[in-house]
Amino acid sequence: MKRYDLIIVGAGPSGLSAAVEAAKRGMRVIVFDENDKPGGQLFKQIHKFFGSKEHRAKIRGFRIGEDLLKEAAEFGVKVVLNATVIGIYPQKEVTVRIEGVVEHYKGDAIIAASGASENMVTFDGWTLPGVIGAGAAQTMMNIHGVKPGRKILMLGSGNVGLVVSFQLMQCGCEVAALVDAAPRVGGYGVHAAKVARTGVPFYLSHTIVKAEGEDHVTGVTIAEVDDKFQFIPGTEKHFEVDTICLAVGLSPMSQLLKMAGCEMEDNPRRGGQVPVCDEKGRTSVAGIFAAGDVSGIEEASSAMIEGRIAGIAAAEYLGYMDSGESEQAIKEQEEALEGLRQGMFAPQNRGKHIETTDEGIQISESLLKKGYIGDDEIERYPGVRHTVGIHPVMECTQNIPCNPCQDACPKGCISIGQNITSLPIAVEGTECVGCGMCVASCSGQAIFLVDEQIEEGYASVTMPYEFLPLPETGTKGKGLGRDGSPVCDAEVIKVQTAKAFDQTHLLTIKVPEDMAMKARFFTF
Amino acid sequence: MAAEWGMIMEMRIEEHPILGVQEKGKEVIFFFNGQEIKGYEGEPIAAALKAAGVMVHRYTKKEHRPRGIFCAIGRCTDCVMVVDGIPNVRTCVTPLKKGMRVQTQDGVEAMKQAE
Repeated sequence: MKRYDLIIVGAGPSGLSAAVEAAKRGMRVIVFDENDKPGGQLFKQIHKFFGSKEHRAKIRGFRIGEDLLKEAAEFGVKVVLNATVIGIYPQKEVTVRIEGVVEHYKGDAIIAASGASENMVTFDGWTLPGVIGAGAAQTMMNIHGVKPGRKILMLGSGNVGLVVSFQLMQCGCEVAALVDAAPRVGGYGVHAAKVARTGVPFYLSHTIVKAEGEDHVTGVTIAEVDDKFQFIPGTEKHFEVDTICLAVGLSPMSQLLKMAGCEMEDNPRRGGQVPVCDEKGRTSVAGIFAAGDVSGIEEASSAMIEGRIAGIAAAEYLGYMDSGESEQAIKEQEEALEGLRQGMFAPQNRGKHIETTDEGIQISESLLKKGYIGDDEIERYPGVRHTVGIHPVMECTQNIPCNPCQDACPKGCISIGQNITSLPIAVEGTECVGCGMCVASCSGQAIFLVDEQIEEGYASVTMPYEFLPLPETGTKGKGLGRDGSPVCDAEVIKVQTAKAFDQTHLLTIKVPEDMAMKARFFTF
Repeated sequence: MAAEWGMIMEMRIEEHPILGVQEKGKEVIFFFNGQEIKGYEGEPIAAALKAAGVMVHRYTKKEHRPRGIFCAIGRCTDCVMVVDGIPNVRTCVTPLKKGMRVQTQDGVEAMKQAE
């Protein structure tokens, strides 16, 4: 039996973060992961993350993963891959299956950072090849470079369903529709809007009746549901697709903690069966900690902070830090975590229907029901202003914890203020130089540069563009509205690419003057 | 059956707007139900099959229902196949090697016509 100060289960964002903090304090740490590569799901996250600087906002998930691996290597963290922890026994004895052999380890402390598994829903034909999890889609396209399908229907409008829909389009798949049984979009409005403006129709209060096909999916029928989630006859809609992608939530993989004798609870706000633990991740069993999705479903940024807290707490538990020192270190992390747990999507608000922002502005009903803000609603937000010359238009309309735009503008044109969840405000009396840093820094792709009159009768709109092929200056096409329908002829007058934009290209199109506040995407 | 070659290439992401051109292992030949297919060494068997247009990995024992990739991370066991004579191999987490014999699984053995 091999002994370690700390055994960590899972080399994902929280497990690796925990390992770094513990190793920093001189602990002998070993991390087991059943996969053949470390990083958990981080390397599948190709979008820019939300938050503020301290949360590494506007940096793409996989780059955060690369940095985390570097940090772990720097502190000498030992990660054993293809190693499945199959049991946690009394006295913190751990059994691990490595290449078909069960090995015994013993830790003085254990951190479970085993993450979550995807939920599924059943319907006629749900076992057919071609029905896949959203995680499977991300794995195939972002890790293995293979398209999950040609034409896809997405079930689930939470952030996973929205983000994966966008990623599917980025790798060249067609998304036929985005469907959710809930009456309102579950994820961030900005994620919904960037999908909707490419022309993907949203069907809220709809779900799948049947997946069709003999040996694999060849089509799908959806129908509207009433407020008791029963199908309404006559509302069926059919789509010819080869793939149905399920993004219907995650459940903590907490079985090991239950086996270890930790007190468990069924907590729907945390996503299911979770260990009862305190703010430091301490479970009811002394020396066993939990961090990340296993202790409650959130996202990678908060999982990393929870991991760091658990790592520090484990160091304190084993006497590698005195309590004063650890309290201070934990306090810093907790403040960062608190920052992420603000706003209308915070864990405490899960499932609530919030109708107005903190500023008292009505939330767009169209955004919640169709995925895009109505042309008649957009003017009510403080990021949307009209001035002469080029200026930013921030179509950020919900209180989410994110503020890179305010730091991005060198001219102080954008203000969010101290409260990270406040809506961005277009600051009066400032002069936009049109550098586009705000457009590229917005993780929600919700900022546009608009010049309402570049010449007689014409306006320009600069938008973020993350698709291939990239159009060139002079490319003619159509301007699409927020709803994805063509609204005007448009011509590309500038394409900007820069290292600081991190793969987000800035596309400037020339549109008729009256389309300055309407055209938000370009196709050709 | 594998799809036409033209369709096969279409499933590979040649260039990605964020990830660029993804690194691949060496191109190798393997056998799917006796038929030669190209894939990249080290990628999951399931990825190579997906790129080749293969949807059905196995049929269930009792009701003979088709199954394919579902979770793609080794959890659900929907994608198991007979690989080099061994049944129940999770193709989504098993790296492809040159010359591998991959067969559609029927129940817990290789499908009859899939030699």
